[in-house]
Amino acid sequence: MQHGFLDRYANLDSPLHRADARAKIVGFLSLIIVCVSTPSRYWQPFAAYFLLLLALLAISRVPILYVMKRMAVVLPFILMVAIFIPFFKRGGGSYNLGPLTLSGGGLMVLWNVSAKSLISVFSVILLSSTTSFPELLKGLERLKVPKLLIALLSFTYRYVFVLVDEVQRMRRARDSRGWKGRWLWEGKVIGHMIATLFLRSYERGERVYGAMLARGYDGRIRTLEITTFGIYDFALAFLLVAIPLTIRLFTG
Amino acid sequence: MHIPDGFLNAGVSVATGVVAVGGGAVALKKARDELDDKSVPMLALCAAFIFAAQMLNFPIAGGTSGHFLGAALAAILLGPYLGSLVLMVVLIIQALLFADGGLTALGANIFNMAIVGVYGAYVIYYLLKKALPRGRTWFLSSTAISAWFSIVLAALVCALELAISGTSPAGTVIPAMVGIHALIGIVEALITVVVAGVVMAARPDLIRTYQPAGNLTVREVA
Repeated sequence: MQHGFLDRYANLDSPLHRADARAKIVGFLSLIIVCVSTPSRYWQPFAAYFLLLLALLAISRVPILYVMKRMAVVLPFILMVAIFIPFFKRGGGSYNLGPLTLSGGGLMVLWNVSAKSLISVFSVILLSSTTSFPELLKGLERLKVPKLLIALLSFTYRYVFVLVDEVQRMRRARDSRGWKGRWLWEGKVIGHMIATLFLRSYERGERVYGAMLARGYDGRIRTLEITTFGIYDFALAFLLVAIPLTIRLFTG
Repeated sequence: MHIPDGFLNAGVSVATGVVAVGGGAVALKKARDELDDKSVPMLALCAAFIFAAQMLNFPIAGGTSGHFLGAALAAILLGPYLGSLVLMVVLIIQALLFADGGLTALGANIFNMAIVGVYGAYVIYYLLKKALPRGRTWFLSSTAISAWFSIVLAALVCALELAISGTSPAGTVIPAMVGIHALIGIVEALITVVVAGVVMAARPDLIRTYQPAGNLTVREVA
């Protein structure tokens, strides 16, 4: 059982962890929307968003190294854009870097996407590592996301752990039999693994459904709900909406 | 292919977001009609399956690797609506839990993979099924072709979105993305065919879009 990479720090205790999921969802989502819509001419607003997130990170006591490692998910996309920079012909002058000519317009685009994607990813990681997924889903349900979708998401989340375990066991078995994974035809092994995984998953689904029926499942999931949206949650949501918006409006 | 936040402009984000919400509503309605609310566990296990299968990296050439997308497989095993719904669930979990794909780009990612990828694959599969005779070989060939197209079509719309947003120049990003994914698509096709072949041998009743020749009855699953 090794899947600590899934919402690993969501069960710490801090003011941010204790806040209502709705406040955090609305707050972080609006921070992302404001950040993405900020014109990239200035660097100051992005620095300010970043500082705001750092302050929240400090409050949440989630390790900064963990967040930085997770932020690497956006790197492939940033690199992809960086590769295209020499091809941009949108003014802004050009710079020479050895044999390459970098266009100013391209560098602006690179700055734009890097700043925005890194800050947004930071926000999502902070959201998911201060809110456990079941709580996040409860928050989304309160925010009127269709119930069927919520039920699907929560069941999927429940079984992701089981199947990831299954995949890790299969991978271990494969590697201990000397699989190298260097050539195209070795992909066939992956195909067999995925097929086995599908059959096992589906049959598990049938068994789970049968077991649920036996326990009186009728399509509805009943949970004990004790959530309150207090003044503190309201303040958090307000600050997360108001601070970025103010920064954004002042730098226009 | 999971686009992060900040790579798309407002127009593209909103337009793809609207299409994604519409697609989600249609898929949820179809799921209720086809399966009723009670079959949530089965669909969820299919979503968890796609999620786990995407963790298996496969070799492309030399040292580089890609991973399985599963859009065509989901379309063929579950049909287009449920397949699309399952892919959406996977993308939402990846965006919320892993920050893999941005929240403001979630609509675009759903559009590319769960709508264009799944329905594109299904349309091609369906047309081939009409055109070709029945039988295992033909079924597997149309599976391979639709799997390749699901990847290439998804990459094409992804490149178009990046180009329209002004993030990458159209003249270079489209050939680059489509070229790379034409290669990745071959592996996707290979894996999808192997999976479809094994499922067909073990549990042919689980392939919702295919009825084998002869009078084999399809077992209704709870």
